[in-house]
Order: sequence, then structure tokens, then C-alpha cells
Amino acid sequence: MAFRPIIAIGFFLAAGISAAVAADVRVKLLHVEQNPQASAFLKEVARRYAAEHPGASIDIQYLENESYKKKMTTLLQSPDRPNIIYSWGGGVLREQVKAGVIEDLSSAMTGVWRERFSPAAIQAYTLNGKVYGVPMQVSQVGFFYNRDLFAKAGVDAASIKTWDDLLAAVKKLKSAGVTPIIAGGGDKWPIHFYWTHLAIRNGGKSAFEAALRSEGEGFAAVPFVKAGEQLKQLVDLDPFQPGFLGATFPQSSGQFGDGKGAMVLQGNFMLNSMRANSADKKGIPDEKLGWFPFPTTAGGKGDASDTLGGLNGWLVTKGSPIQAVDFLKFFSNPEFQREAAARGFYIPVAKGTQDAITNPILRGIAANIERSRYHQIFYDQMLGPSVGAVVNDVSADIAAKVITPKEAARAVQQAWQLAN
Amino acid sequence: MSNSVSYDTPVSIAPFLRYAILFLVAGLVLIPLLATVLGGFKSLGDLRVNPFGLPAQWEWGNYWSILSGPRYWQLLLNSLVISVLTVVLTLAAASMAAFVFAHVRFFGSKFLLQYLLLGLMFPAATAILPLFIKIRDLGLLDTYWGLVLPQVAFGLGMSILLFRNFFRQLPSELFDAALVDGCGYVRFFRYVTLPLSRPILAVVGVIVFVHSWNNYLLPLVVLNRDNIYPWPLGMMAYQGEYSTDWQLVLAFVTLTILPALVMFIVAQKYLVAGLTAGAVKG
Amino acid sequence: MNGKLAVVLLFLPPALLLFTLFVALPMGEAAWYSIFNWNGYGTPENFVGLKNYELLFQDRAFRTALVNNLLIIAVSLAIQLPLALAMAILLADRFRGAAMFRMIFFVPYILAEVAAGLIWRFVYDGDYGLVAKIATILGFAAPYVLADRDLAMHAILVVIVWKYFGFHMMIYIAGLQQIDPNLYEAAHIDGATGRQVLWRVTLPLLRPTIMLSVFFAVLGSIQFFDLIMPLTKGGPSDSTQTIVTYLYTYGVTRMRIGFGSAVGVVLFVICVAFAFGYNRIKMRDE
Repeated sequence: MAFRPIIAIGFFLAAGISAAVAADVRVKLLHVEQNPQASAFLKEVARRYAAEHPGASIDIQYLENESYKKKMTTLLQSPDRPNIIYSWGGGVLREQVKAGVIEDLSSAMTGVWRERFSPAAIQAYTLNGKVYGVPMQVSQVGFFYNRDLFAKAGVDAASIKTWDDLLAAVKKLKSAGVTPIIAGGGDKWPIHFYWTHLAIRNGGKSAFEAALRSEGEGFAAVPFVKAGEQLKQLVDLDPFQPGFLGATFPQSSGQFGDGKGAMVLQGNFMLNSMRANSADKKGIPDEKLGWFPFPTTAGGKGDASDTLGGLNGWLVTKGSPIQAVDFLKFFSNPEFQREAAARGFYIPVAKGTQDAITNPILRGIAANIERSRYHQIFYDQMLGPSVGAVVNDVSADIAAKVITPKEAARAVQQAWQLAN
Repeated sequence: MSNSVSYDTPVSIAPFLRYAILFLVAGLVLIPLLATVLGGFKSLGDLRVNPFGLPAQWEWGNYWSILSGPRYWQLLLNSLVISVLTVVLTLAAASMAAFVFAHVRFFGSKFLLQYLLLGLMFPAATAILPLFIKIRDLGLLDTYWGLVLPQVAFGLGMSILLFRNFFRQLPSELFDAALVDGCGYVRFFRYVTLPLSRPILAVVGVIVFVHSWNNYLLPLVVLNRDNIYPWPLGMMAYQGEYSTDWQLVLAFVTLTILPALVMFIVAQKYLVAGLTAGAVKG
Repeated sequence: MNGKLAVVLLFLPPALLLFTLFVALPMGEAAWYSIFNWNGYGTPENFVGLKNYELLFQDRAFRTALVNNLLIIAVSLAIQLPLALAMAILLADRFRGAAMFRMIFFVPYILAEVAAGLIWRFVYDGDYGLVAKIATILGFAAPYVLADRDLAMHAILVVIVWKYFGFHMMIYIAGLQQIDPNLYEAAHIDGATGRQVLWRVTLPLLRPTIMLSVFFAVLGSIQFFDLIMPLTKGGPSDSTQTIVTYLYTYGVTRMRIGFGSAVGVVLFVICVAFAFGYNRIKMRDE
């Protein structure tokens, strides 16, 4: 029969065409998670999404933290940029939105999806009334400490309430032959936590917002100069591990995990890094790990419950397929957020998922952030790429004893004025 | 009275002293390299206590994990493609331009030559930012061509100089005879100059290839996709990822410098001639 | 006549086009962008005149970069070149093993700067490195050389000498081998000591070779980037910045196009000044 070949050809053609139409939509996601288990979790979520949505695949790519931050500006201008990128929000997000490279998610983030998050979380990713990102996790900066080393020096973490208490503890540790503090000076931003948190304690929310509005002396005002002076007090005690000025964040996390120093001022994300970079790949076990919040300063206008940390999330770049947005919706599902929480990868931001956190320290942090009325996002992200970099520079320079606190504050203010 | 071994040197030195000094310097030169190669064969703990010596136990896993994955080979392939493209384009453009400058006198030729040789005076770094903007605006960011074309452009100065010198040294009777016979410039270039130019093509080719192979700054600015990284970027990305696992990083470094070392041992003469020819003839 | 036009129109444009588009134009644009404050998006609008240059020279990090470049040039001329010359003198003969030593000394030069930088990052590492091990054997605490603001630059200078002395050595060997050995014999017959032969005969005859070597050393010194990045990235506290690493750190990664272009212009001026100065001296010789 003459029809048969035609039907056969037609069949194959149709199959071919439909295959082409249903061809894989590839969504590229770029992340900075160094911990292999956490990144495996991410890949697992991607795999499940692809399984439940035939025709779409999520390509997970990793770039090391520092390189990621440095390359982001050039990366976003490439025609081949990733579809989903990791974000710390703040001024960097603002610049990216201004450059027109980030997709507006306002129409997608409605109803059930939007209800998952607290207003504050959504606010962090809203600019000019439009939502540009999906919040995913929160973090807080505080002092992690090694219980054994503290015990050895006879230091009681619960008694460290004020900045002077901290300085005294440092002295006590030193005289017991223990390196008081580990710091990742090579990457600079770990040190800017000190300067920033001191400023938060000294001036509180009002000082920062005034500086943002370029009122008065802005970042050269008293709270910021004082922050530098207080940092200098600490630095003058020589509390850091040898070679701290060259230690990268992964290195320093590994050093803390190896017991080379008693405490480290870091965000909870440091735990992942500690596990990945310690000599035994485990670091300090949970029961030997302690945490206390950043001390208050004398005469400070800030509230003791104010927190410094991150509110991290994911952005979609302009022109990405809708599967990118869809994947983020899938990923921010409370089920996955709870799993991540239970396995200790990060503190999820979706409402009601935080009770799944098993790690006591992380639970405490989650509670802190919930309680806090002023959660300051890391300065180096908040203030935008060029000013943020200056904050990092001056903090590291104070730690290296090459500039004065006054010069530091003035440099930040100058950079802020230039950028605005 | 001189009883030295030969007369090439102004100073004669006792052989024992000479060898002592040479071995000392050779040791200082080679120790970092040997430690790197051996480091890849150690476990992290072994490396920590014993960075100098032979591995307590030869770990083949480090090298194997890198060689058995696609990442390393992808890097080499990228570098090869980029460098070959750069060499081919540079040889073509530079030899053609140099030919004109060597044989054809026309109004403004001297000026144009000086213009092209300006590129010799300053490194690519001076214009890297406008170059980045330009590559971006041409839509060539993150592509092979975005890297190859600027590399060719910056290599033209040196290449044209070398080609022109060589062409000038070819016997001029050849040229005059050809003109008399009615052979056009283009035919002359294709059938006479090029075949005679094998030595200089090789020399310039080597210089351009090595420079492209080792290039770091330009790829760093232009490329973001890790699947088109040339090996310098790939190596640094690997180090960023495995920064505290020195045994892996050292293995990776060894494997990435291996092609250069192999090429060197195999083609010593040409490499040295090529790399120093730019110096002596320039 | 026709052939002439054809070859010019056919053979010149590729090179001219590539060069103009990717070298000449960007250089001009660098001068133009340097008078704006621009982050790379859209067109430059924020005219700031010479402010970028003012900020540049006020910046402690940039001044350190300039000093470091000078330091590199000084060390190259005072240590690296004499070392290369000494090795060349030792190895210019054909004796047993000479060729092998020459190859060994040349090997660092063929490595990419990035690779050399990473290798020495390992050597200098305070936890795992060779220097640390030597220190502990000698009884000292292992130094974190690359994290020390006073030591880091010197450590880098060592790497620079290690990497390039072999290259200069090869140039000198070529130069030495062109000297007529009869001159030496004549000098010896006249009773000259080794040292006098060196100063009065060899060095003057090597002058063109030395000039060439200096040219490459200085030009190379101005451009250092690939070597510094794996070692210190310009740190700690900007103590090991060079002009190009400064340009990358403060211009490229922060997308300050105007500012970075200003650095590029300064670099260009330095290179051109050197090229002219060198030509002047060369012409004085001739």
C-alpha cells in the first residue's frame, strides 16, 4: 500500500518536530556554595524539578565566593550569563536592577508564593515597589567559639556582654597561650564585620539611615569613627592568628575548625566552610561549639537585639526562560526549606520552616533574627560594589595598622559621595 | 698564561668551583618545581609534614582524579583552539602587511608602519577597560573570538617587525627578476616569499603561540563561562575551589604546565630561538 | 602599477582594521573615558575632568604600586641582570653539561607567570610550604611570608629573579658567543687579569646586548600582573600592588571605567616615556 511509507514518514516527522518543540529548556544557575553536601542538595532539588517537569533541565554551576563577587559585574554583561544568580541584596542588587539585567518578578510572586515569606524578607528584594528576587536564607554574624579553648583559658562566654568584656577575654586567652581570634584578612570582608557591627552598636539604625541619606557627615560621623577606634583597640592587642592578613575565608574557616584560634566573628554560613576546609573535613563538632552575640558598646545608641547579617536569595536575569522563575518557586517550597534547615545548610526564610532546624546554635540565630527590629545587611553588599569594597579595604587597613580610624571613616564617606 | 678549557669566556674558573656554583643555582631553580610535581603524589597530611621529600606513599588518586575528569581536558582544548586561531590569524595578517611594508613604497607607508608599531610600546593592560567595553558592545564577550581578535591585534606589532626584517633580507634579485617577468606582487608573495619564509613563520608562530597559551589578564576580563576557560583561568578557578587541598592543587598545576614542559624538551632549539629571536633581532 | 594597488588594498586592511579596532581606538577611548566617572552601562555622562587622576595620585595604594614597579626595575637591574651575566659567563663555553644547565636555568622562563606564581604561593605557604618547613627545621616559627606587609614584596622579587634570569642569561650567551676569542687571547698576552678582561673587553663589547636586556627587563617590570595575582592579589593591605594589578583591582573588578582608564593612561605615558628615553640613549651610542 502506497500510504504506509507516507504514514511512517509522517509519523517520524511528527515525532521529530514534537521532540524539537519539547526540546530541553536549559536553565543555568550559578551559586557559591562550597560545602559539597549543600551543593549536592541543590543539585538534588534541580534533579527533582527536571523529573517533575520534563523538557526543562537546570544546569547547576559553581563559582568560588570571591571570584563570583568580582566577576558578577562583567558576567551580567555577557550574552551568555546565567539565568539564576545568588544574591546578597542591598546596593549591589540596586546597581544590577538599575543596569536593567534583572527580571521583575512582581507578577509571578503573588498569592501562595508570596505568602511564604515574611514582609521583611520580601521588602529586602523590593525596589521601587517591584519585587526582583526570591529570598531564601538568613544569616547572622556573631562570635563562634571553641568551648575547649575557652575552658583552657578560663574564659566564660556568657560573661562577655560589652566590648570591654571582649577585650578582657582576648587578653586572658593570650596569656593562656591561646590565639584569641581567627580572621580571614586576605578576603577583607571578614574584618569589615567588626567595623560594621561596632557602628551598628554605636549609632544604631538612625545613624546608618542618616548616612544613606547623606545627612551631616554621613559615614564620617562619630559612630563610624568610634567604630574604627574600637576596632583599633582590639587590633592593638594582636589577637589574630599568624598570617591572618593573607588568610582567605576558606582558609580561616579551616583554621578555626582545626582549633588554631578560640573564636571567629562570622556568619552562620561559616559552618559549611569550616567543615569543607578543616584538615579532618569535619571541624569542631556541634557540642564543642559555642556562640555569643556581638557585644554592646558603652554609650551606644544601638539596640542589643540589632543584628548584622544577610538576607540572601536568588535573582533571575532578564530574558531568562520562565522555567527559571518556576524553579525558584519550586525551590522555595517549604518542604525543601525544612530539609535544608534540618541538615544545617542554612537558615531558611520561609515562614514556619525554622522549627525544622536541629542545630541549637542555628535555632538561636533564627530566633535572634526574628526578634530583631533592625537587621542590617552586610555593608559591603548594602552600599553597592564600589563603596562596599572601600569599607572592606579600610577595615583590613585598620587591622593592618596602616590607617587611622578617622581616615577610614572619611574614605568611606568620600566613596559614598562619589558613587551618589 | 691561560690554560682555560676554551677561549669563549673572559674569565677562567676552576672546573670544580664552576660546577659547584652551577649545581647550587640549578638546585634553587628546580626545587620549587620538583616539590610541586611530587606534592601531587602525596596525601594532604604527608604534604604537610614532608613538603620536600619523596612521598611516604605514592598517591595516584590525586593526578588520576584530575586526568579522568573532563575539566582538565576541556581547558587544554580551549587553550589549543584559542592559540591556534590566534597564530593562524596573526601569521596571515602580519606577513601580508609586512610584505607590503618591505617591498611597496607608497605615500604614507612609513607613517602606517610607525602607526602599527606603536603597539609595541605599551601593553594590553593600558587599554583593557575600553577594550572590555568594545568587546562587550560587539557581542563578543564570553566567546573565543572576543579573546582571539584582540590577541591578534596586540601581537601584530612584534610580528610585522620580525616579518619585515626577514623579507628585507631575502635576496632582492629574486624580487626584481619576478617583476621584470611580469609576476604581480600577490603572486610573488604566494609563490616565492611564503615558501621561503618557513623559518620566520615558525619563529613568529612560536612566539605568538606561547604568548597566547600563557595569557591570563585578557581571558580573565573577557571570559566568564568556565567551559571556554583557557588553562590559566581554569587553574586559578580550581585553586579557588580546592584552596586548602594543596595536594590536589599541586597536581593540577603540574598537569597544566606539563604541555609547556614537554614542548620545551621536545623542541628546545626552536623554542629558545623563537623566544630569544624577538630579543636579538628586534 | 595595478599590482601595487591591489596588493596594498588586499594585504594591509586586515592588520590595519584589527589594530585600529582593538588597539588604537581603545587607547584613545581610555583617554576619553578617564575624564568621566562611569560604571560601564549606557554612555559616560558624569564628566569629572581630571578628578580621576587627582584621586589616583592621592591613593596610598597607587603610590605603593608605583614604588613597587620601581623596586622591581631596580632589583631586575641590580640583581637579576648581573646574576644572568654571571651564569652566562659560566655557561658560554661548550663543556660537559653546559647545555643541560642552560636548559635548566631557562625552564622557569617558559612557564606561564600564573603557574609560576601559584607554585611559589605553595613554596611560601605558612602551613604547607617549603619556607615554613625550612623555618621549623631551623627552629623558628613558620613565617607567613605572603601575609606580612614588610616581607611580601621581597618574596615576590625573589620569584621574579627566579623566573627571568634564565631568559637574560640566554641573551647574554648569544652576545658573548659573538665576541671574537682572539680579543681575549690578545688581552691575556698583554698581561690583563681576568677581572680587567671582563671590565675592559667583555662588557663594552656586550653593551648592545646589555641594552637589549635592560629594555626587556624594564618593559616587563612595568607590566607585572600574572605573577602577582596568584601570590598575593596585591595584598596584604595593597603592599604588593603594581600598576596593572591596581588597575585590575580598583578599575576592572569595581567597574570604575573612568578611573581604571586613567590608570591605563598613566601606564601608557610611563611606557612611552621609557621608550623615548631608551631610543635617545640608543641613538647617542650610534
